[in-house]
Amino acid sequence: MTAPTPMPPAGSLLVATDLRKAYGPTTALDGAEFSIHPGEVVAVMGPSGSGKSTLLHCLAGIVPPDSGSIVYNGREMATMNDTQRSALRRSEFGFVFQFGQLVPELTCVENVALPLRLNGASRKEAEQTSLGWMRRLEVDDLARKRPSEVSGGQGQRVAVARSLVTNPRVLFADEPTGALDSLNGERVMELLTEAARSTNAAVVLVTHEARVAAYSDREIVVRDGKSRDMERAV
Amino acid sequence: MSSPAVRQWYRDLAMGLRFAFTGGREGWVRAVLTAVGVGLGVALLLLTTAIPNAMATRESREAARQDLGITYYENGDSKPTDKSLIVADTDTEFQYEEIRGRLLEPEGADAPLPPGLEKFPAPGEMVVSPALAEMLESDDARLLRGRLPYETVGTIGEAGLIGSKELAYFAGADGLAKRIDGSVVARIEAFGQTEEQPEEPMDPVLLLLTLVVFAVLLMPVAVFIATAVRFGGEQRDRRLAALRLVGSDGRMTRRIAAGEALAGSVLGLAFGTVFFLLGREIAGSVQILTFSVFPSYLNPSPALALLVAFAVPAAAVAVTLFALRGVVIEPLGVVRTAKPARRRLWWRLLLPLGGLALLSPMIGQGSDNGQFNEFMVIGGVVLLLFGVTALLPWVVEAFVARLGSGAVSWQLAVRRLQLGSGSAARMVNGIAVAVAGAVALQMLFSGVEGRFTESTGLDTTRAQLELALPQGGAPVSTVGEKLKQAKGTDTVAALSTSTVSATRKAPEEGTEVTVGDCVSLRELAQIPSCEDGDVFLMGAPEDPTTVTLATAGRTLYFDASYKGEERGAEVAWKLPGEVKKVAERPDSLRTAMSGLMATPGALPAKAEPFLYSTVYVRTDPTVPDALDEVRNAAVAIDPLIRTWEWETTRQVDEFATIQTGLLVGAAAVLALIGASLLVSQLEQLRERRKLLSALVAFGTRRRTLGLSVLWQTAVPIALGLILALSFGLALGAVLLRMTSVPVTIDWANVLAMTGIGGAVVLLVTALSMPPLMRMMRPEGLRTE
Repeated sequence: MTAPTPMPPAGSLLVATDLRKAYGPTTALDGAEFSIHPGEVVAVMGPSGSGKSTLLHCLAGIVPPDSGSIVYNGREMATMNDTQRSALRRSEFGFVFQFGQLVPELTCVENVALPLRLNGASRKEAEQTSLGWMRRLEVDDLARKRPSEVSGGQGQRVAVARSLVTNPRVLFADEPTGALDSLNGERVMELLTEAARSTNAAVVLVTHEARVAAYSDREIVVRDGKSRDMERAV
Repeated sequence: MSSPAVRQWYRDLAMGLRFAFTGGREGWVRAVLTAVGVGLGVALLLLTTAIPNAMATRESREAARQDLGITYYENGDSKPTDKSLIVADTDTEFQYEEIRGRLLEPEGADAPLPPGLEKFPAPGEMVVSPALAEMLESDDARLLRGRLPYETVGTIGEAGLIGSKELAYFAGADGLAKRIDGSVVARIEAFGQTEEQPEEPMDPVLLLLTLVVFAVLLMPVAVFIATAVRFGGEQRDRRLAALRLVGSDGRMTRRIAAGEALAGSVLGLAFGTVFFLLGREIAGSVQILTFSVFPSYLNPSPALALLVAFAVPAAAVAVTLFALRGVVIEPLGVVRTAKPARRRLWWRLLLPLGGLALLSPMIGQGSDNGQFNEFMVIGGVVLLLFGVTALLPWVVEAFVARLGSGAVSWQLAVRRLQLGSGSAARMVNGIAVAVAGAVALQMLFSGVEGRFTESTGLDTTRAQLELALPQGGAPVSTVGEKLKQAKGTDTVAALSTSTVSATRKAPEEGTEVTVGDCVSLRELAQIPSCEDGDVFLMGAPEDPTTVTLATAGRTLYFDASYKGEERGAEVAWKLPGEVKKVAERPDSLRTAMSGLMATPGALPAKAEPFLYSTVYVRTDPTVPDALDEVRNAAVAIDPLIRTWEWETTRQVDEFATIQTGLLVGAAAVLALIGASLLVSQLEQLRERRKLLSALVAFGTRRRTLGLSVLWQTAVPIALGLILALSFGLALGAVLLRMTSVPVTIDWANVLAMTGIGGAVVLLVTALSMPPLMRMMRPEGLRTE
């Protein structure tokens, strides 16, 4: 007999229930649950290979789960096609990856402006908005430099600026400080959470570092594809 | 170099060789990619160097089976012997394909077997080439089966054929002895040329064409090999950075990189040999235009093969060392300065200028059988084409630096090109060289075509088929009547020709007489009234002898003997009381006609053996396969009737062969370059797999990324084609000046060549789309 699915907390922006996902014979998610409120920072923790990143990819609509439900802002994501999910990612979500994944041939400001341009903004308008975000993340002086000309910490801050430039309602950060030293990592986290809170964006923060998770309001631990909400468990 | 230095070189190269094969899956993939690329190039090099041998083998096979024409003068009074064989030439054509046909009648036990045959076919039997056997079995060969009503009893061996797709047959026959004329039917005692044919020196223009064709075909292959050894370069550079971290210095890392390239190219040599052997087999099963070969013909000369075996690995090392000049491999990664050193123009211009300098002394050499210095021609062409590869990176860099940003796809492409246009330019180099060379050659071909294309003077609207009747066969009137009834015939003109002389002993004092019924004669001249028995004088002949002979009532002689000879079989012909003067038709079936024309009733019956008869057939365009229907009807009347289809022009064989060679080679080169483009494209995409997935993750449309890949290829390609067009036209103009031919540009041809180059790129981009879509899947983001 399976345990009854707990009701998601009221007012959740993004809710996932009973998510299952396998890559061939490897089970990545095995009945994982998740929910997040606007403006909330939730850390998804767990050891390497536990399914954290897969959970993030499913929540963001990058990878469709094999089964289970993901409801964003009242809409079931399983009913959306690839184009609709892409549009959602472009306009409502933001992303930060471990290695920034900046486009090497674009300048930093062009990288930050990219999501806006993908949404149809003109280059001038997009770059003006981007410069504002770069200023908030203290990298506006790097605007005309290419990613290869800036340090790892600076690049990651540019990536954070890129993730926030569209004023997303949910920010997905996959090991955003994984490639940085502790000092740079902390600065990036401070800026990221401050900026997100100022726009009331929810942040899904995948990390295996406790000091990074400390920036969150709540922690979820993923192990063997199952999630456990630490706050509710207490 | 001191011996420790040599040992160090050896150690570093060996380490590179090891890295190529022990670098795990990625290392193997890289080595195999390089090897496949180099292998394709090597295979094409070997195939190209084998072409002269293939041509020579075809010629020697042709010479070895020669059977007619060489014994013409001995045939008049030849007698059957134990070793004699009668051969009749029954070549024909079916659906525009030529079929070599021979009827054989051995007269003695030791009659020579033609090459490729194990025994003579009996009358009613035939031995066919494999290609003809296949054709005879096909559904649409009904007419051909009717034309060759023999039972197939065997296959002609390779020794009797000049190509794997040659259509040929030997059929058994009897009663040929009385048809011997030394031309269509001959008695022989051996096959093959009895004496060495004096070799004519090749026309200097044809020699120039051959040299340029080889240079133009091989240059892109060389460029391709240079590109192939750089496959996976970025990944390798990262590995080299790791080596720097553990203490290897800059020079060592370069040598190790060269060692890796060497490994790929040596493996490529092995692959190339396998591809060559496979390609040789495939070459044996295809026919391009009328050209086919047996795999055994394609043997590269040992010296050239050895050169390839040494030159390719050496080139691989040189190219790698050259490519690494601009790359600084630091212990913590590969550093390409954000603004790499600007490419310099001056030395890049030296190459084409050097090429022009080498070619310019030969301007005008082709007009009066002058000679072209082979080395200067090849050197000049190679330098000019190499100039394209040297200038293209500079042109692309200079151009993209000035491009502004537009839509996201355009911005992504332009920025990538601005960051490093070298690899894009390298990808295009092969196509650019191939197009430049092809444009130049097309110009040269178009320019000198007139020199090698003869007008036949035939009007194909007046007749489509000409049938020559053999001596001793059915009378021309019968043949004409039967052909008139044949399916596919519209009209028929049966005409015979002979010479008549003033006296029994003065053959040189004679004129031509053309014989035919009124309808047939009206195909030649404007004849107001005509009845059987009439004789006419064509036009106002300038030759006084003809005027004298064409006197009404005069007696003339067929087959006059020479003075001093015994009286022969001269036949007297008394002209009727009136010889009407008629004018030649402006669109006469035969041009430059003169002499007498007679209707059959005006001739003595005994004149028949002295007439050489031809039937002209205008086919009915509404009947499908009309030409073949008429040919069948002719063969049914007499298998020795020879048939020609009328053509308005005829090309000199060597010229046509070179043109065919160019087409074959250009097709192979473009296919090869297309393959290399695809490999490079996929490699670049694989390098960016993670980034592509990340871009898709934050909502980038796949169409945007697809378009950016297209722009990224299209911009350098457009520049490459413009450059190729300029260089091609310049080289073409120089080559035409060398042959003293006025410089004209056949834009249709030139643009077609350029278009084909562009189409290859579009095709490659289209082929790289499915992998691109796969790489954009979110799975690319997975790290665990």
